[in-house]
Amino acid sequence: MTLAELKRGQQGIITDVSSVHIPLKLLEMGCLPGNLVELVQVAPFADPMYLNINGTHLAIRKETAIHIIIETAHE
Amino acid sequence: MSKQINVALIGNPNTGKTSVFNALTGLNQKVGNYPGITVEKKEGICKLPRGVKAHIIDLPGTYSLNASSLDENVVIELLLNKNDKDYPDLAVVVSDVENLKRNLLLFTQIKDLKIPTILVINMSDRMAYKGISLDIDYLEQELKTKIALISTRKNKGINELKELITHYKELSTEPCLDASSIDESYFENLRKAFPNQLLYKLWLVITQDVNFGKTDRKTYDAVEDFKTKSKTDLKRLQQKETIKRYQFINETLKKGQTIDLNSAKDLRIKLDRILTHKVWGYLIFGAILLTIFQAIYDWSSIPMDFIDSSFASLSEWTKNTLPEGAFTNLLAEGIISGLGGIVIFIPQIAFLFLFISILEESGYMSRVVFLMDRIMRRFGLSGKSVVPLISGTACAIPAIMATRNIESWKERLITILVTPFTTCSARLPVYLIIIALVIPEGRILGLSYQALTLMLLYLIGFGAAVGSAWILNKILKIKSKSFFVVEMPNYKLPLFKNVALTVLEKTKAFVFGAGKIILAISIVLWFLASYGPGDNFNNADTIVTEQYASENLTEDELHQKIESHKLEHSFIGIAGHAIEPAIRPLGYDWKIGIAIVSSFAAREVFVGTLATIYSVGSDEEETIKNRMAGEVNPILGGPLFNFASGISLLLFYAFAMQCMSTLAVVKKETNSWKWPMYQLVIMSGFAYIVALVAYQVLK
Amino acid sequence: MNTIIQNILVFSALGLALLFLVRKYIWSPKKKSTKACGGDDGCGCH
Repeated sequence: MTLAELKRGQQGIITDVSSVHIPLKLLEMGCLPGNLVELVQVAPFADPMYLNINGTHLAIRKETAIHIIIETAHE
Repeated sequence: MSKQINVALIGNPNTGKTSVFNALTGLNQKVGNYPGITVEKKEGICKLPRGVKAHIIDLPGTYSLNASSLDENVVIELLLNKNDKDYPDLAVVVSDVENLKRNLLLFTQIKDLKIPTILVINMSDRMAYKGISLDIDYLEQELKTKIALISTRKNKGINELKELITHYKELSTEPCLDASSIDESYFENLRKAFPNQLLYKLWLVITQDVNFGKTDRKTYDAVEDFKTKSKTDLKRLQQKETIKRYQFINETLKKGQTIDLNSAKDLRIKLDRILTHKVWGYLIFGAILLTIFQAIYDWSSIPMDFIDSSFASLSEWTKNTLPEGAFTNLLAEGIISGLGGIVIFIPQIAFLFLFISILEESGYMSRVVFLMDRIMRRFGLSGKSVVPLISGTACAIPAIMATRNIESWKERLITILVTPFTTCSARLPVYLIIIALVIPEGRILGLSYQALTLMLLYLIGFGAAVGSAWILNKILKIKSKSFFVVEMPNYKLPLFKNVALTVLEKTKAFVFGAGKIILAISIVLWFLASYGPGDNFNNADTIVTEQYASENLTEDELHQKIESHKLEHSFIGIAGHAIEPAIRPLGYDWKIGIAIVSSFAAREVFVGTLATIYSVGSDEEETIKNRMAGEVNPILGGPLFNFASGISLLLFYAFAMQCMSTLAVVKKETNSWKWPMYQLVIMSGFAYIVALVAYQVLK
Repeated sequence: MNTIIQNILVFSALGLALLFLVRKYIWSPKKKSTKACGGDDGCGCH
C-alpha cells in the first residue's frame, strides 16, 4: 500500500521510495526505506498529511505520499 | 590587532541556530546582504577568553549541502570557496538534541570537507523531559569532533563552547565517510584527474549548481568535463550517499544515544490535536489574528499620542527660541515635522514585529502552513505562501524573499506577484491617521469601530492577494513540479532575547531605512512649499492685502490669507494644481496629490508630507491629526477628509503598487522587469478605479 | 548677516537631501563596481 492510504494514528514501515517523484530533500529528512512512519494528523480532505518519520515531524501533500510505498506493521 | 577566527554557524532550520548566534554575539551583530543577491547576511563579533575574538557568520538554515534554494546556495558557495574572505577557519554545526539523527546528516557532510568542525547539541534542557541520554565521549570519538552540549534557553554551556572555539586548531579534520564509497570507479577516475583535490569537494561541485566567483573558476571549470553522468544517475548517487550517511549515523547513535520512551513526555501531540484540528485549528488562527490587530491598535495609541504632541511642542519651542529666519523655519516645519512622521510609527511597527516573531519562534507558523495548504492550493498558492502573506504585513520585501522555500516555481511566482497586496507596515501610518479622522469612535462587542476598520483593510488586502492569485493561476501557463515538504518543529516558548533582538533590528531598519528617505523628502518638500517663482509668490503680501483691503480683516486672518496664497503659488502648489484634475474625481485636493506622488518613495511619507505642507506658515502648535481635521475642501466646503474621500484614500492605498524598493526586489527574484512592471501598472490602475468608484458612490 | 547664514544652511540642507535621494533612486556611483552577481550573468541564482 502507499503512504497516502494510511489512517490517522496508524504506523507503517517504508519499503520503497520512487526516486523520480520524491525530492532529495524529503529523503534527507529521513524518508528512507526501513524507517518507521506514523500519520499524526490530517488536514481537511486528508491533505496535506502530518507525519512522524523516524522522529522527524513533517507535512507532505497527498500527491507526494502516493509515491511512497509502505507496509503496515501489524494488522 | 591579532587575527580573528572566522567561524561559520551552520545548522538545520529550527535547531535554535539563531539563539546560539545571539548568545555568542549579543548586540555585536549586524545584518546585511550578500553582494548582488538579496539573501540576508548576519554576522557578529564574539569575545573569547584571553582577548581572542571570533568573527561569526550565521549562515542560512539548511538540511544538507545539496542546495535547492538561493539561501542554501550561500552555504555551499562559502564552504567551497577558500578564497572568500569569510571562508571559515572553523564550522560550528548546531543541532537539536531531539532531532540528532537528522541533524547529523549535515554535520557529516561538512566534516567531509575537512573543515575543523564543532558539534553543538542545543536544547539539552529537554533531554530529561524526552528521556534522552547521550554518551558524549563515545560520540566525540566516533564523529571525530568536539561536542558542546548547550542550552540557550537555560544559558548553559555557552562558555564551554567559547573555550572550544578558542582551541579550534586542536580539532581533527578527518572525514566521517569515505566519499569514494559512493561509486568506486567514478571516484577513481576523479582522483586520477585531480590528484590534489578533495574528492568530496569535487563531488559537490559536480552535483551542485554553484557560483564560485572569479578566483576559483579555473580550478572548477575542468570539473565540468566530469559531468558525464546523467541528471537521473547523479540523483540516484546522491540518494545512495544519503543512505550511506544515515547508516553511519544510525550505527553511531545506536551506542551513543539511548532514548527511554517511558519517561518521554509529549506536549506536541496534545497541542497539535487542538491547534491543527479541522475546526478548532482555524478558529484559533482567526482569533489570534483578531487579537493581534486589536492589540496593535489599542496598545500603541498611548505612546503615539504622546509622541505626536511632543513633536508639536518641540516644533513650537524651536520657532520661539531660535533666531527668526529661513533655517529656523526649515528646522521647525520641515525637519521636526518630518522626524515626527517617522518616530510616531515606532510603537506600532514594534508591536507588529513582536507578534510575528513570537508566531515564528513558537513553531506555530508551521501549523498555519499545514492548515492552509489545501485552501491556498485552490488559488494557485502553496501553504508556504501563508508565511510571506503574513510577514507581508510587516514589509513586502522580506516577504518576497521568504518565498524562496516554495518548491514549485509557479506557486512561488504567483506568491511574489500578489504579496504586495497585503497590508505592509508602511500602509499602517496612512490607514491609522485616516481612520482616526473619518471613522467614528465607539465600540461593538468590545471591539472598537476603528480597530474593526483596520482589520477589514487587512482582510481586503489579503482578499485582493488571494483573488488575484486565483486569476493568475488561470492565466499563467507554467508547468512546474510541485513538491511540498514542511518541517513541523516542536512547540517552544519564544526566547525573550531572540524576540527582543528581532523587534529591535526591524524597528531600527525602519527608522534608519525609511526614516532617511522620509527626512530627505520632508526637506525637499518644505523647500518647494516655501519658495516659488514669479510675482504671485514673491509679492503675496501686497496682492492679498489689496484684495482684502475692504474687508477689515484682523491681522491674524490677513496673515493666514497671505500664507495660503503663498502656498498655492509655491513650486509645490503649481505642481499640485497640475495633477489635480486627475485626482479630483477621487475626492482629493492638490495637497493630497503631492502626498500620493511622494508616497512612491515610501508609503509612510504620506503623513510626513501632509504634516510638512500643512505646517508651512502656520504659527500654532498643532498635532498632525488636528491639522488634517481642520482642512477644508476648497470646492465643496466641509472637511476635506470626510467619510467618502477617506474611504477612497484608504482603498487607493490598499491596492496601489507604490513601493520602488519592492519593485526592485521583485525584479531581482524573478530576474525580469516584466513582472514588476505588470505589478505597477495593474495594481495602481485597479487602485485608481476602486477609489474613484468608492468616492463617487459615497459622496 | 543672520539671514545670509540661515539661507546658506537651508540650501546646504536641501543639497544634501537631494543628493541622498538621487543616489538612492536614480543613480548611484558605487553600484556598478560592486555588482558581482545578478541578472543574466550565469551565477546560478535563478
